[in-house]
Amino acid sequence: MGDILGLVAKRLGLGLIILLVISVIIFFMVELLPGDIAEAVLGQGATPENLAALRREMGLDQPAIVRYLDWLSGAVMLDFGNSIVTGASVSQTIGERFANTLFLATYAAAIAVPISITLGIVVALLRNSIFDRVANVATLTSISSPEFFLGYILILYLAVKTSMFPAIASLSSDMDFGDLLYRTFLPALTLVLVVTAHMMRMTRAAIINLLASPYIEMARLKGAPPWKVIVKHALPNAWAPIINVVALNLAYLITGVVLVEVVFVYPGIGQALVDAVSKRDFPVVQACCLIFAATFILLNLAADVGAILTNPRLRHPK
Amino acid sequence: MIKKNDVLLKIRDLKIQGYSDETWVDIIKGVDLTLHRGEVMGLIGESGAGKSTIGAACMGYARDGTRIVDSSIEFDGMELTTATEADRRMLRGSRIAYVAQSAAASFNPAHKIIDQHTEAPLQYRLKKRMEAQEDAMELYEKLRLPNPGEIGFRYPHQVSGGQLQRAMTAMAMSCRPDLIIFDEPTTALDVTTQIEVLAAIRDIVDEFNTAAIYITHDLAVVAQMADTIKVLLKGEEVEEAATKEMLDNPKEDYTKSLWAVRSFESPQRRRPTDGTPPLISVKNVDASYTGGEKVLDDVSFDIYEGMTVAVVGESGSGKSTTARVITGLLPPSKGEVLFKGEPFPPSFRNRSKDQLRQCQMIYQMADTALNPKVRISEIIARPAAFYGGLKGVALKNRVDELLDLIELEPAQYYYRYPPELSGGQKQRIGIARALAAEPTFIVCDEVTSALDQLVAEGILRLLDRLQNELNLAYMFITHDLATVRSIADEVVVMQHGKVVDQGPKDEMFTPPHHPYTDLLLSSVPEMDPDWLTTLLEERGVDNVGDAAAARIDSKDAKVT
Amino acid sequence: MSVFVIIYYTLLLGASCLAAYFNKRSAFLLIFSLTLVSFILGIVGGVGALRGVAIAAGLLALAAMVSYAFREFLIAIASVNLAKELRTAPLTAAFGMFVIFTYAIAGIFAPVIAPFGEAEIISSAFAPADENMLLGADQLGRDMFSRIIYGARNTVALALAGTVLAFLLGALAGLLAAVNGGWFDQIIARTSDVIMSIPSLIFALLMLSIFGGELANDTTSFWLLTGFAVVTGLLVVTAVFENNILGWAVGLAALIVVAVAFAGFMLIIFNPSEIILVLVVAVIYSPRVFRLTRAVAGNVVVMDYIEAAKLRGEKTWYLIRREILPNSTAPLVAEFGLEFCFVFLLIAGLSFLGLGIQPPTADWGSMVRENATLVSFGEITPLIPAAAIALLTVAVNFVVDWMLYRSSGLKV
Repeated sequence: MGDILGLVAKRLGLGLIILLVISVIIFFMVELLPGDIAEAVLGQGATPENLAALRREMGLDQPAIVRYLDWLSGAVMLDFGNSIVTGASVSQTIGERFANTLFLATYAAAIAVPISITLGIVVALLRNSIFDRVANVATLTSISSPEFFLGYILILYLAVKTSMFPAIASLSSDMDFGDLLYRTFLPALTLVLVVTAHMMRMTRAAIINLLASPYIEMARLKGAPPWKVIVKHALPNAWAPIINVVALNLAYLITGVVLVEVVFVYPGIGQALVDAVSKRDFPVVQACCLIFAATFILLNLAADVGAILTNPRLRHPK
Repeated sequence: MIKKNDVLLKIRDLKIQGYSDETWVDIIKGVDLTLHRGEVMGLIGESGAGKSTIGAACMGYARDGTRIVDSSIEFDGMELTTATEADRRMLRGSRIAYVAQSAAASFNPAHKIIDQHTEAPLQYRLKKRMEAQEDAMELYEKLRLPNPGEIGFRYPHQVSGGQLQRAMTAMAMSCRPDLIIFDEPTTALDVTTQIEVLAAIRDIVDEFNTAAIYITHDLAVVAQMADTIKVLLKGEEVEEAATKEMLDNPKEDYTKSLWAVRSFESPQRRRPTDGTPPLISVKNVDASYTGGEKVLDDVSFDIYEGMTVAVVGESGSGKSTTARVITGLLPPSKGEVLFKGEPFPPSFRNRSKDQLRQCQMIYQMADTALNPKVRISEIIARPAAFYGGLKGVALKNRVDELLDLIELEPAQYYYRYPPELSGGQKQRIGIARALAAEPTFIVCDEVTSALDQLVAEGILRLLDRLQNELNLAYMFITHDLATVRSIADEVVVMQHGKVVDQGPKDEMFTPPHHPYTDLLLSSVPEMDPDWLTTLLEERGVDNVGDAAAARIDSKDAKVT
Repeated sequence: MSVFVIIYYTLLLGASCLAAYFNKRSAFLLIFSLTLVSFILGIVGGVGALRGVAIAAGLLALAAMVSYAFREFLIAIASVNLAKELRTAPLTAAFGMFVIFTYAIAGIFAPVIAPFGEAEIISSAFAPADENMLLGADQLGRDMFSRIIYGARNTVALALAGTVLAFLLGALAGLLAAVNGGWFDQIIARTSDVIMSIPSLIFALLMLSIFGGELANDTTSFWLLTGFAVVTGLLVVTAVFENNILGWAVGLAALIVVAVAFAGFMLIIFNPSEIILVLVVAVIYSPRVFRLTRAVAGNVVVMDYIEAAKLRGEKTWYLIRREILPNSTAPLVAEFGLEFCFVFLLIAGLSFLGLGIQPPTADWGSMVRENATLVSFGEITPLIPAAAIALLTVAVNFVVDWMLYRSSGLKV
């Protein structure tokens, strides 16, 4: 077991280093701007005096490395400074929105993961049949469609023409859980459509790869019935690829969520990021990017650790 | 010994098709097979003869992408081609069992060996779990696995290849089947390990009087195992006869040609006595791959101009690593390589164009040794242009000359690509490419082991002729002692990265030997059906294979 | 029960019986399961749903016929070897090729095909379709149809430029890393790990927030382009000249000239904000290309013929050009298609968010956003540019899918 813990620790350490490097990139990229944030805040009408005052207030007279360390230590305590547009605390503005985004992603994942893995396995077992081909074309089409295309189609047919679901996913604090699920159904469904297609294809490929192993043929030649071949011989070895597929697609959800939030005017962190980028509100942009990157890295890490933990060769070292 | 009256398996007009390029192509073209209870039949043939496909068909099983058409497969009175899948499945594991070529890949990595062993008996409700486990341990003991009480509770990757192959044979025996299909069970193993497995398989098949189909490409192996031998060629039967008769008196030309191959022997050359330094001299070389253990330990030997030195050893003995050190792909961590008495730069990157030219290489797998997207003419022309600066007509003439030298018609091969050629032709192109550099020394890395025997002999004859004409020195890496016998002048025996024995060929093949050389020599199967029995009597069952190899040290005295 | 429903079921059942009778197993399964699905759909959605199915089936049949005819057309005009390849193409791939072909025509001849200019205001905002305007007018009163045609040119050209740049940098680095290995390989691999652990859309937003404003001017984009070209060119110079110092001097001089010329050329074609977009996309996707090329070339580099060439004393550039590239073209071309899809979707997404291609340039992503309000009135016009994006991506994916299948099939 010592071996496996070492591997996991090593992987975690690597993730941490990458996150650190990314924080450096995110912070110093803003430094590339001509002038500085103070000029950006005050715009054309800045006088040298208010510029100097604002710089002192924001700590811009300090060297970059000191400001980076300040920012990083703040970020670790979830304090990302203040917005330069509204002046409000960044963590307060995006904290609740991040929770909303997580809710939407979890909602979509809860539907997509079981469906796509089941379908992926079914299609793998029916490979080269007509259903496999139809599924191939359908998933390719779904993957190729931009999220906003799927989103507007759903709005058009399920909200505008038949008014089954609300087109705009506005949230208020007095909604109960069922209402919440109902109101956010369309954005969740959009995400489900895209992610399911990806996950199905990857699951199918992983299972087909596995079924080609000599030990699966051996199990068949030992007279094991088909269900037993799948459950006892294929599945214990399929965990690593399946965990990998799930984690990768959850990570994919993070990118998809930005566009979907904009289409459905959903108050999530993706919407906040897009607003901040167009208003050039750099503290918010930095905070959002760091949060997205951290989540992304965490999920990839989970996939790798999952693969290590379920590998029989590593679980039972020589 | 065999009751000839009781037919177990009767196959009539077996036709199997495979799906490729959108159509069904015949792989097996109407083979008949009759197997009696307790009989062991050897199926032999070259690669692509369809042996393995027939083996699977004996269980009524067609692999993915193949199908059985218009055939009759009758097992103990039951017609398998018309039976339901469920009925066929009931036979597998219980009455017909299968032993695959690669045990390492065919055991499920997620379960313990003994759990996979007991799966079939438990499924058929033949035994309770505890009984089945005890039976497994008993079988492990019969197959002479070390620690029979404990080894089953390990995972497949924790056990060595030879042991896994025996564990798989034990697993096949778990329901005491009537028939076992052995599909090349020892092909992936080293010769010394192979003996142990062969002996174990033979004993257990004898003991339970199980019928078996033994699939292999190795004649000497099949001679030890089988009662009858069936020879296959490209999906068709050539002939079938009892083992003794087949060996003594083959009828068909193809069979005769298989038997006759090991006849070539090149006359042995001696070292020059006038004090000229050796062409290549490996001096006290240690080497290891980045961060790993020492792969070579104090290796020294000399290769003289115009002579062939065969380097013999099993996988992991360091013979290929030695070649990498000489060619400069792996700089040694200690020691040096001398060329005509002058030190060779350790890395090929630091060698001059002329030094690189002197030392060429021919590879085992002609498929990966030739770029499939480059024309033959260009493959051969490149070294000639690169080193000799030839251009235009001169270059074309040189390529033609080289193609003539390797006995291929220039006009016919000039514009072709490697994938259009057969294995032997590809190997010849590899030789031509090496010759194009006009070297004095060529490393031949297992050049004949991927080829069928007749083709291999052709290559050996060609290499020998070229050596005489061009005064080349060869370093011949091989695990096959028959090849050594036919082409070598001197022999170097390696084990675990050390040279355990070296000397002229005639001395190496006559006692006294180093114990490892002795083990190696005695482990090579011979065409005599009684060879294995005699060997086991002489050496004792516990003095062969890994068990014997483990007791040997490189400094042991020679034995007679 | 209407006549339509009766005909609908008669046709379906008749077709499934015929398929069953002639032993067409897969056709039967497909048609009969469609019949079963139709029973449920008919009960739930009424005649309208069945009509929808019939229209969809008709469209599919139309697409299949077009694809079949187009494939036969290609086979007829192609050379013998190419025709043999094309015969193996499934209808989906033929459909993909047809769509790509159509888009190429639309893009190249946009000024000829489009009835109006892309920024020409010809009527009132959101005017409905009439005999002048096939699809009506957009939010400023410009002809929707003309803008979609021009969009084919602008959006695709940008995506293509981004993909090509990403490919040049990524593939060169991948090939060099595969041949040289060692610390060079390690450094590039770790760098690309870092870039790839930021989600692409997020990274693009971050970079656009920096370079999107006043930095999107001629001078900045010129220097950025030159810098990109120099980095890419350095890889070539490294591969060609290795340790030859004189060669390096000549190579560097040539490199600077080429880089400046390239930057100038790009500035003529694209405006500064588009160049920033192209570069952002190239930086984000080159690590992905690197990783794939490294893997593909890695499989080739372990071959004995590469070892033989190395031992002969061949230089890196020869190895890449003559030994590795001919053996990795198939997967690399497929990967180019795949990356194009990603890049295209990313650019479309950015434009949709209002951060990509800037008005008044006609672009599909921003057209969707600008006309999105129409959706709430039940109009499908804003969906057309979105569908145009989806259709091209689907088409490329279909072709890539076939090529991947071919190249994996050849390995066996």
